[in-house]
Amino acid sequence: MASSDAAAGTATAGGGEAGRLFIRQTSGLVRELGIPAATGISLASVAVVNTFINFNAGLTDFAKADMYLPLVAAAVIWLVAMFAYRYLLRAVPRAGGEYVYLSRIVSPVAGSMAGLGIAVVFTYVLSTNAHFAAQFTPFMLSGLGAAFHSTAIANAGNHLTSNIAIAWLSIIVMLVVAALSLFSVKIVARIIFGLIILQVVAFLALIGMLAFNSHADFVTALASYSHHPGAYQAIIAGGKSNGVVFGTSIAAAVAIIPFMVLNYNGVLYSYYVGGELRRPGRTYLYASAISIGVLVVLWIGVWALLRARAGLTFMQAQANLGVINPTAYGKITSLSSVSGGLGYGMVLSSDPITKILFATAVPLAEIAVNLAFLTVTTRVLFAQAFDRLLPVRVAKVGDRNHAPNVAIAIVLVIGCGFCFLTSLVNLGSIVALQSLFFALILLAGGVAALMLPLRRADLIDLSGISESERSRFLRKVTVVGAATTILALFTVFELVTHSSVYGKFSVESIITLLIVLGSGPVIYLIARAIRRQRNSLDLAMAMHELPPE
Amino acid sequence: MRGAFRKSKKQRALRIFFTTDVHGSDVCFRKFLAAAKVYQPDILLLGGDFAGKGLVPVLRTDGALRAQIEGHEVSVPAAEWDRLAADINKRGFYAAQLDAAELAALQQDPAALDRLFRSQIAAQAQRWCALAAERLDPVVRCIITPGNDDPVDADPVYAADGRVEFPESRVCDLGPVAMASLGVVPYTPWSTERECSEEELAKRISELLDSLPDGRQAIMNFHCPPYGTGLDDAPELDATLKPVIRGGRPSIVPVGSHAVRDAIKHYQPVVSLHGHIHESRGVQKIGRTLCVNPGSDYSSGVLRGAVVDIAEDGTCLDFLLTTG
Repeated sequence: MASSDAAAGTATAGGGEAGRLFIRQTSGLVRELGIPAATGISLASVAVVNTFINFNAGLTDFAKADMYLPLVAAAVIWLVAMFAYRYLLRAVPRAGGEYVYLSRIVSPVAGSMAGLGIAVVFTYVLSTNAHFAAQFTPFMLSGLGAAFHSTAIANAGNHLTSNIAIAWLSIIVMLVVAALSLFSVKIVARIIFGLIILQVVAFLALIGMLAFNSHADFVTALASYSHHPGAYQAIIAGGKSNGVVFGTSIAAAVAIIPFMVLNYNGVLYSYYVGGELRRPGRTYLYASAISIGVLVVLWIGVWALLRARAGLTFMQAQANLGVINPTAYGKITSLSSVSGGLGYGMVLSSDPITKILFATAVPLAEIAVNLAFLTVTTRVLFAQAFDRLLPVRVAKVGDRNHAPNVAIAIVLVIGCGFCFLTSLVNLGSIVALQSLFFALILLAGGVAALMLPLRRADLIDLSGISESERSRFLRKVTVVGAATTILALFTVFELVTHSSVYGKFSVESIITLLIVLGSGPVIYLIARAIRRQRNSLDLAMAMHELPPE
Repeated sequence: MRGAFRKSKKQRALRIFFTTDVHGSDVCFRKFLAAAKVYQPDILLLGGDFAGKGLVPVLRTDGALRAQIEGHEVSVPAAEWDRLAADINKRGFYAAQLDAAELAALQQDPAALDRLFRSQIAAQAQRWCALAAERLDPVVRCIITPGNDDPVDADPVYAADGRVEFPESRVCDLGPVAMASLGVVPYTPWSTERECSEEELAKRISELLDSLPDGRQAIMNFHCPPYGTGLDDAPELDATLKPVIRGGRPSIVPVGSHAVRDAIKHYQPVVSLHGHIHESRGVQKIGRTLCVNPGSDYSSGVLRGAVVDIAEDGTCLDFLLTTG
């Protein structure tokens, strides 16, 4: 049957020039995501604009932190991992990420551990992103108020700081994401791409603002914004008197590498929709390389500008004073201490357009991130349902939008529940090991790539090449897999040894991590036992990868 | 919960691994054969559209071979023909060595190109039969039936082969069930080789299924899926065969067969196996019939399939969609 690429040719000669393919008949395919869409999913999963806030968080969490080395080192780690995932995607070109790779290459139990764990943690991340966007609503309204010269809008933000208001705002963000995700994956990718463009415009506006204003301009603008003539020096002095440590050190730069690795988390996420990528290996590689390249250039450039205009000492003082002594900080300036570079942009901005851009950058970024995460999470559920690990209904695709609507509904309902819990109950101790989970996911990818040539070399289709070339290629896959595993282990080690920053090991957090990691294998083993007892088909069969030879 | 663990009284008597629409992909066919070891079926069933749709002309020039593969110009010494052909076949295309004059002639002569395609498809059928004989355990039956995209030139190759069975337009005995196979589909916009009207299709189906003894459980292996079941959704095309865009996305419409749907309702086979529409992977029930379209992703070397277990009394015990 011919369908979508029908126009490519007819039953006779479709070729023309020497060497071109002759087409006889055509057939439709489900793979519709090209490099721009895959790049959109990768960049959106990272939330480019969040970096301003993440820089600020890094300065708060790590004394004597500088970002150059961590930004480059983390990019190198993801670059190595990018090749590992490329080999995995080439051997197993479909949706589902680590769930599919581990279940096919290592064991179904390992795959189910990653699969359900990813689904649960990513659903939680959806809610924290929505919560983050909700928390930024006052900043957004104050920026919009300044842009439109409306005190009513600016003051409205003051009424949206209670826990219940944040909870409802989080739900609204989730519902917006839900409505947008009901479009087909191609349109969702376009929406994500559009939101990224807005983020990049905000980013570029901020870069321009930092580039075309001097340090003295920033000091003057901060004084004006704060209605405090010596605000800049007062913040540094306040930092000193409150024990903030200034300067940089190599040890701090190394310790912050895992933080930056997490900052880049998502940059390779186009492999999760591998089943929908056109020419998956190539599309994934280009999308990931473009995304990593864009982020390294943008982030290092912005960090250099921030250091030159605001100054490292000021940034360290501002980030930490707002946390250590918010009262003293509040007496100096009304600039949010957690807004980081975006706040500096707001200080320097003198026109309504850039004010609107900076004000809306974070909420729009979070909507883009959530759309990307929702796409990723539902594809993991989708893959598990097709393997009969979850009910088949979960994999049902909508007639109109061709999206997994049931999976989307499940993720959103649970996500909204998490939104309320995040806003109204302190989940901090329970989800403290979220960072560790993400590092473990990277480790899982590294292990899968390492095991690929050892356990399932038959999946690497190298027909037509000599035995020595084949051995060389398999060695290359092993080396890349081993390198990714070692780098992921380094990240895990740093996370564990800096638990005061990345998440404390409490009874609650460890039990939560064990439940998240253990629920997948338990569900798999129970479902398999039930089916075997009933003379049904063995679930493990669905997780076999057929060798091409 | 105790009920969930209750052992079924029925025992498996037959396991079928069904796949479809591999469109000349050597990788998918090799995976199809490998499925015998992985899923341990009694029958491997390839339900139509085995023929490839593209042919890469390989230009012979001064001891070298030149070809364009997925947009990339490739040049290898003539001695590496086998390797180059294997690489092209892996992508589901046929490779043909031509000199410049032959290539120029082929571009001007659609009939010659059609003949070349047919000979390539028949040659591949021969290679696949040999591969099946070499790789399959003798106890595993290998059944291949055509789809609308398959030229009739390949039929005699499969029909004459001793290892592969080719029961097109026939009912064959699978033990607990009988299987009726039909590769013909209702008219498509491309006027492919095996097409007819809905009325004609209904007539052929009746002739086929009316020959079944009363009470005999049956499986329908009909390439075309039943109309309006979600197993037959494909992009709507305009008069120029371009996808119709509505609301910013391709309009999706059912393109299955009313005759097949009516036959399923009337004869109620235990299972009906379909292909044809690559995008519409899924499972649906019509009455007591389990209708399956495993879909196809052959161009990525992914083999989509379905494992179906049949009990001694011919009823369907269980199924599993596979991706390998």
